[in-house]
Formats: sequence, C-alpha cells, structure tokens
Amino acid sequence: MSGPQRKNLFKIEPFKQRVELDPNYSDKAWKILEHAIHEIYSHNASGLSFEELYRNAYHMVLHKYGEKLYNGLVCSMTCHLREISKCIEAAYGVLFLEELNRKWVDHNKALQMIRDILMYMDRTYVPTSQKKTVHDLGLKLWRDIIIHSRNIQIRLLDTLLDLIYKERTGEVINRGLMRNVTKMLSDLGISVYQDDFEKTFLDASSSFYCGESQKFIECCDCGQYLIKAEKRLTEEIERVSHYLSSSSEEKITNVVEKEMIANHMQRLVHMDNSGLVNMLIHDKYDDLGRMYSLFRRVSGGLVTIRDVMTFHLRETGKQLVMDSEKLRDPVEFVQRLLDERDKHDTIITQAFNNDKTFQNALNSSFEYFINLNNRSPEFISLFVDDKLRKGLKGVNEEDVEMVLDKVMMLFRYLQEKDVFEKYHKQHLAKRLLAGKTVSDDAERSLILKLKTECGYQFTSKLEGMFTDMKTSQDTMQGFYASQISDSGVGPTLVVHVLTTGSWPAQPSIPCNLPAEILGVCEKFKAYYLGTHTGRRLSWQTNMGSADLKATFGKGQKHELNVSTYQMCVLMLFNTSEQLTYTEIEQATEIPPQDLKRCLQSLACVKGKHVLHKNPMSKEIAEDDKFYFNDNFSSKFYKVKIGTVAAQKESEPEKQETRQKVEEDRKPQIEAAIVRIMKSRRVLEHNNIVLEVTKQLQSRFLPNPVVIKKRIESLIEREFLERDKNDRKLYRYLA
Amino acid sequence: MRRSANRRTVLQKSIGLNSSSATSDPYRSGRSVSKEMENIEILFGNYADISSGDIEPAGIESLCSDISISHTDVRMLLLAWKTKAKRQGYFSQYEWCRGLKALRADTLAKLKKALSDLEKEVRSPQNFLDFYSYAFRYCLADIQKNIDLETACELLNIVLASQFPSQTKKLIEFIKFQHEYKVINMDQWTGFLRFCNEINFPSLDNYDSTLAWPLILDNFVEWMLERQN
Repeated sequence: MSGPQRKNLFKIEPFKQRVELDPNYSDKAWKILEHAIHEIYSHNASGLSFEELYRNAYHMVLHKYGEKLYNGLVCSMTCHLREISKCIEAAYGVLFLEELNRKWVDHNKALQMIRDILMYMDRTYVPTSQKKTVHDLGLKLWRDIIIHSRNIQIRLLDTLLDLIYKERTGEVINRGLMRNVTKMLSDLGISVYQDDFEKTFLDASSSFYCGESQKFIECCDCGQYLIKAEKRLTEEIERVSHYLSSSSEEKITNVVEKEMIANHMQRLVHMDNSGLVNMLIHDKYDDLGRMYSLFRRVSGGLVTIRDVMTFHLRETGKQLVMDSEKLRDPVEFVQRLLDERDKHDTIITQAFNNDKTFQNALNSSFEYFINLNNRSPEFISLFVDDKLRKGLKGVNEEDVEMVLDKVMMLFRYLQEKDVFEKYHKQHLAKRLLAGKTVSDDAERSLILKLKTECGYQFTSKLEGMFTDMKTSQDTMQGFYASQISDSGVGPTLVVHVLTTGSWPAQPSIPCNLPAEILGVCEKFKAYYLGTHTGRRLSWQTNMGSADLKATFGKGQKHELNVSTYQMCVLMLFNTSEQLTYTEIEQATEIPPQDLKRCLQSLACVKGKHVLHKNPMSKEIAEDDKFYFNDNFSSKFYKVKIGTVAAQKESEPEKQETRQKVEEDRKPQIEAAIVRIMKSRRVLEHNNIVLEVTKQLQSRFLPNPVVIKKRIESLIEREFLERDKNDRKLYRYLA
Repeated sequence: MRRSANRRTVLQKSIGLNSSSATSDPYRSGRSVSKEMENIEILFGNYADISSGDIEPAGIESLCSDISISHTDVRMLLLAWKTKAKRQGYFSQYEWCRGLKALRADTLAKLKKALSDLEKEVRSPQNFLDFYSYAFRYCLADIQKNIDLETACELLNIVLASQFPSQTKKLIEFIKFQHEYKVINMDQWTGFLRFCNEINFPSLDNYDSTLAWPLILDNFVEWMLERQN
C-alpha cells in the first residue's frame, strides 16, 4: 500500500460507538409497554419482566419520549376501560354492582403495576410537564369512562338508592358491596361522592322521612313517635358507619332531624293525651329523656320543651296557690309545693340531663306563682313551725337538714322575704315560750341558713331570743335558790325574761292575775330588779301558760294545761259557782277578743269543756252565763285545753301583720333612696325606682308607688328637691 | 335709731287724724314722698292694735269693711303678698309701709284701686308662681310644713280658681273625695299649679305618670279617667 518513506503517523481514533438510537426505538419500546399493559389488564402479568419494562419506560423518558409514552398510556388505558365499561353495562340486577366492584378492584391492581413500571415517568416527566400521575390518571379515566358513562351513571345511583331504601324497609342487603362501591366513589374524589351520590341520597332520604313522619304522626302517640324517630336516627348513624363516608353523618342526621323532629315539634309537644304535658304529669322519664335528646339536636327544640314546661308549671302552680280549697291547711299547702318541686326536679335530673336552663325555668316558674298568693310567706313559716314542733320528731339529723334545705329553697323564691321573717319570728317566739321546739339543733341550723340568706341583721334578733331563754333558766335557778325559806307553798312560777326588741312586739295589757300568782310574781320582780338595777319588767300575760290541778265531782283529779288567760278565768270559779261573761271580763280585764276565744276553748270544745255555758252555743255573747262543770271527765290525767299552736292568721290579724311589714319597709326604702342619691346626687325618677328595687329585692319587692311616696316624704323633709327645670330629676340636698 | 324714734312720735301724733286729709302729689317731690310715707303710717295707725303695735285680725276686719272687700277676697291675699307679711292675719308696721309704699297707696281709695290693678299684674307667670307659693307659706302656722285639706281647698279657690276654674273645681272635688292624704305639702301645692299650666284639661292626654308628678296627682288623674269612662 504506502511506501516506507511515508511518515507513518499512528492515530488512535476515539472509540466511536454509535449512540444514535434506532429511529424506531421509541415505537418498539412503546410496543413492548403497550403489550405489557394489555397483558396486565388481561390478568396475564405473570410472564412480564418488570426489569425490562421499567428499563424501556426509563429510556423512553430519558430520550425525551415522555410525551409519547404518556399519551400512549392514556390511549391504551382509555381503550381498556371502554372494554370494561361494556362488560359492566352488560351485567344486570345484583350482578351489576358486583361486576362494577370487581372491575374496580382489577383496575386498581392494574394501575398499581403500571405505576410501578412507569415510576420513572411519574417522578420526572409528570411533575415537569404538569400532568397527572399514573394513579390519578387511572382514577380520572375510570371516573370519566365508567362512572360518568351514560349507561352506568344513572343505573349506579338508582341501584344504590334502591338498596338503601330496601334496607330502610327492613331487607338485608350486602353491606360489604355497598361499602366498596361508596368507597370507590370517595376514592375518585370527594366531589364525585357528593355529586354522584350524596346529594341525591340526601334528597331521597328527605322525601322518605317526610312521608314516613307524616304517616307516623297520624297514627302514633307522642311517645311512640319519638321511639321511632330515635330508632331511625340511630339506624342512619349506623348506616354511615357501615358503608357511607363519615362526612355524610352530619348531613343525613340533619335530614332526619329536620323531617322527623323539627317539622313536627309543635305538634308533638302539644299532642293531646300524650304530649309533653302528659309526660310531665305522669313522670314519663324515658319519653321525656328521649324527647330531650332528640329535640336538643334541632335548633329551637329545647326552647320549645322549656316553654311548654314553663307554661305548664305556671298554670298548675297558679291553681295550686289560688285554690281556696287547698289553702285551708297551710302545712299541706307547702308540702304540695315541695312535692311539686321535687317532682320536676327529678324530671330535670332524670330526663333533661340536669340542664341548667331547665333548672332556671323551674325556679322562675316557682318564683312566679308562689308570689301570686301573698299568704305564701306565712304558710311557709307555718310549715316550718309544724315541722319544728312535731314533724321532725325522731327524724335523723340528715333528714332534718334536708327538710330545712327545701324550705330555704322555697324561701328563696319569695319576693317578700321580710314577711316570712316576721312570721318566722312570731312562730319561733311561740315555740320557745311554749317549750315546743323539737330540737334546738334544728332551730339553730335554720337560723344559720337564714343568716347566709338574709345577713346578720335579721338573725341577731333570733339569736337574742335563744339567749334570753338560756338566761331565764339561770335566773329561775337563782330565784328559787334565794327563796328556799318558803318553798313548797304556793304555785311554781317559771319566768322567761324577754329583751324588748328581740321578740316580736306584742301589744300587751296585763290582765288581773289571781292573788296566789300575784304574790309570787311580786317576789320574782323584787328578786330580779334586786340583781339587775335600772331595768323594767312588764308581764306579758298573753303569752304564758299554766298547769292547774283541778278536783272535779266524785273526787276525780286532773291536771289542766291551759294558757295564762284561761288560768285566770278558771281560778275565778274557786270562789263562785256561776259567772256571767261581763263579770269575768271585769274581774280579769282580759281583752274581749282574747277572752272570747279562751272561753270558747274552755266551754265549747267537746271532751274538754271544763265550763258549762248557758245558752249552749258556739258564739260567746255579753250576757252568757258560765258554770263550773263538776261532771267533767277525761280518760287522761293531763288535759290540754286550747292549743296555743300557731295557726293561720285571721283576716284582721293578717292585715295587721301586713301593715307592720309595710311600716318596717318605709325606713328601708328611704335609706335606700338616700344611699343612692348620696352617691348619684342627681337622678331621674325612674332610675331611682329601678335602683331602689335592685337594692331591696333580696328582701322584698318594693312597690313603685310606695317608693314614690317615700321620695315625696324625703322632699318634704328636705333630703331631696325637684330639679327646677327638668321635672323628672331629683337632687340630693346635702 | 333716730328715724324709728321719730316714726314712733309721728305715729302717736297721727292717731286720731283724719285719713282723708292725706292727698298725693303726682310729681312726687322729696317732700311729697315723705308726705306719702306719713299718710301710710297714719293709715297703719288707724288699724293697729295699740298694745301690740301691729295690725291684728280685728284691724284687718275693719280695714276690709272700710274698703268693702271680703277678708277672703284674693285682693287681701295680694296685699299680704305685696307687704310680704309673715304671719296670717297680722301686719307689722314695717310690712305695712313696705307694701303700701310699693303700691304707692296712701289713701284707702288708692289702696283699693292698687289692689284691683295688682289682680291683673299678678297674672304674669313669674309673678303668679311667686304669689301662689307665697299663699301657701302664708297659711302655714308656726313650724308647720303642711296645711290641712280644708284650708288647702279654700286657698285653691281663692288663688287658682280665677285662672283655672274647671281644674280647680275638679281638684277640690277630688281632694275632698280621697282619704289617703290628710294634709297638703309644698311639693304637692306647687305640683297643682304646674299641672294646671302643663296638662290639657279635661282630656289629660299629655299626662305622663313617669314624669315624677306627686303621687296625689297620679291619683287625681286616675280618678278623673275612671269617672270619664
């Protein structure tokens, strides 16, 4: 070839391998992949090499054939899904859903494999070209081609709703299949679930329950209806947990609540013979509880129950306190109130979840009707009196506390607390003086409770009463110790020295005491004033009592337990056989009204008529004659004549007490006005009334007219003046 | 001191002088003023009680008959108002002179005329309020703060009836009808005038009980409305 002289330059050519790909490479690679996809869909994937397929896909993407690959995938998958769609459409009846579900499972499996093969594309090509990942693409295509296909979409929905309807009407359906299908819809995106299923489902449910509730309400009573509604509600909640998306729970319960409860609330509550009022009357805790838990689910539900309950409470309460028949016995009256409260309290705890707003409604209702009757304070005090005299005998401490707590609860409802206090003081005084208190502990416990409610001012006087009782005991011991010399002669005297002011003021004109008593009284007076200089004693003969030993005809002896007045009357018959009313009145100087009452109890009570009266009538007249009843007899040695127990006040007494209360209120109202005006200097009329009411309402509810009167009195006394220009204003004059 | 001493002597001299001799000078020179004063004092002397040195109820009675006015006539109350008399039925010399000087009346004839003029003058609202409150205070005895119902009604008739006849009539009727109040105090008294001035009568349609009227007026309105229905 070439000669040796030619310079032979050895050149090493770079290794030149043709990296240039076969121009048909991408086609070939896609062919392989397409084939693989086909195999996968035909359940023939076992023969495929994952490594080879992955490599091919990898290279395609690497060599910028990503788009071709992606489009190919779309094409091929679409094609397969169309095939599947036809299969599904061909299935009928129950098989339809099953087929759909099976194909969906297949599709998911295939999708998994395809995604693995095309993983490189998913990682690099998809994000840069902003396409859907293989998985998402698969779902999207499934949605568009299968679910939204004309032949499938409607059928799928109808089938689902039909099955749910069947289940609602009691058939058993394949819940697993339902769950898979709804799960599929959710997987395709929440909007698919909502648009293609949930919306229509809710509409269908709505009309189903609308119809059903109409049917129920026509033929069921309230209780039954509520049971059905509750059952439906739990069913729906269960259904959601079994085969619907949990996001549907609130929506479907709302539908049931609206259709079955909210729409029929008023009718249910007011149902004749079975509505709320009936349940309350008959303590139907279960029904009430059901109503509460169902109604609380809808807006305005609890308000509805509460309003009806309040109305019912007020009405029954009104009857309770206004029925004159029921007012005859104060103790029973209060017991009835307590029972009524207990009853509803139990209902609220048992059935109404101890709801605060219901408790408040209960309280405000009681406050409303208790105060309709202005004798309530008196009656409550009489109830306490009854309990503390005898009702609590032998009852253990806890129960006593419970009774007292209940009484305090009623007390809190009273607007006129000062009236109760007045009566309580009177009744306590009588209890203490007659020695009729069951337990000092109970009394003290009540005082303590009143102290927390009304403050120190009120109870200090009550405590003073107890102190007086204790001091009197010591005084009596001292007295008898000093009188040893002439003991055994004459009557035994027990004196209670009462501090004026602590005890309820009783206008008292002392009557003429029998000489025997008078002597010992004078002795006591001398003793007492000897030890306590500078004091004054006056006898309250209207409050005392006496034990008399009396001998009747045939030598029969009895001990008579009488009041001081009665004693004075009886002692007169030691010296005379017969006395007229006028003679008795002159001899004793007992006030006529009291004398009449005490003669009535001596002469007109069957089995206890120590005296004979002529003529024999109930009423006492001026010229009636009285004889000592020598034939008096009784089974008992001790005879108690005429009870001094506190009784319901008579009309004039009531008026008097009321007047006293009104009188006591005046300074309180004035003090409040002055307090307010002192700090505000200038204030409008209405605001004064408002503030005074606010300040005093824990004690009583002042009447605006009375407040106005007090203001005018303060103007007259130049504490206040009217503003010269603005007539509504008052000025404080310092 | 000298002046009052002088006055006393003048007073003593003037007793027994004929009041008709006093004439007034329309041009009121300094001399005539003192002349007028003199005449007023002479008039006072005619009615004053010698021992107390004041005009007493008896003196007023004779004054009334001299000028032929009833002692319950509003004009007598106007005279008291003008003299700012403190005590009902009495004029001190100081009060008398102050009043008559202000009225420029040094003869009985002039006094009578001046009182009639005063009746017109007092109708201006400010004057009337002053007069109206004065009338109440004038009727108070000693340290009292109230007047009894009978006096109150009479007084209303005298001072208020001419301006508010129908209101006064009804009000008096009501006061006599009710039993809640036994006396009338200043606050209620001024309330009556304010009521007459402000409230449409007899419709009472602009009465607002929240405006803090004295309670007696609330009751009055309630009573009126009850009777209207």
